[in-house]
Amino acid sequence: MQQNEETELRQVRTRIKEFRVRQNLTQERLAEIAGVRRETIVFLEQGKYNPSLRLAYNVARALNASIDELFVFDDEAGDR
Amino acid sequence: MRTKVAALVVLIIALAVVIVLISLRAYYVAVSLLIGVLLVGHRELWSLATKRRLPPFDERVRGNMGRSVRNGFIFLVLALALLMLPFSTAMVERPDTAHLLGALLVLGGAAYLLSYLFYDRAEPHLGERRLRMLKVFLAVAVVSLAVCILSVFLHNALSGLLHIEEPVFFVIAVFVAPAAFVVGLVGSVVVLILGLLRRG
Repeated sequence: MQQNEETELRQVRTRIKEFRVRQNLTQERLAEIAGVRRETIVFLEQGKYNPSLRLAYNVARALNASIDELFVFDDEAGDR
Repeated sequence: MRTKVAALVVLIIALAVVIVLISLRAYYVAVSLLIGVLLVGHRELWSLATKRRLPPFDERVRGNMGRSVRNGFIFLVLALALLMLPFSTAMVERPDTAHLLGALLVLGGAAYLLSYLFYDRAEPHLGERRLRMLKVFLAVAVVSLAVCILSVFLHNALSGLLHIEEPVFFVIAVFVAPAAFVVGLVGSVVVLILGLLRRG
């Protein structure tokens, strides 16, 4: 069960850092805009946390991006 | 708003309990409770003092808190049962043994509390190697705690059954397991502190 979760987590890559740097936002500022703690942004950027749809939406909105631009699944990347 | 009210209620209850404890002259318990509340709520109190608002209580924090409350409750129940059991079955007659067990359980609880408070801040800054080290140290601490408790029971049971002073489990319970526990605990704390210092 745990291994499945870890495998699932490994499959998700995020482009949050890329979008955040592009917009000159600090992790602290992005966390403020998205209404989460800075640590949550750190975990999201490292792909160590699977967010809910609501959180993904909030972060995407804070970065003026869409959810599928920010979160990339590895099998999806392989398809391209 | 609901979080603010909940935090306020917890703070008021803690203060009321502290006042009751002081009136009962249980000063050590009152100080311990106060330190515990300050430790657990330091981030919230700091945020209230500097930004005049509570830090966001997002879904990750909510999930972590739910898990830690559940685990803490299980730990408390197990710790109480383990401390009560030797006395109820008259397997332990000397209070020294209970003090040793109690101290190990308190240290274990404190380690759990501290790791809950600081793990998510340290973890992203720890490399794969240090994370592995942390897991090994934590495993050593948990296993040695279990071994210590088991050895106390086995030593007393064997001594009672065979009518001899059983030496192997005595040495494990009194020297080996507590030493391993301290190594595991100190190692975990050092790795966590290294992770916190590498923040930036």
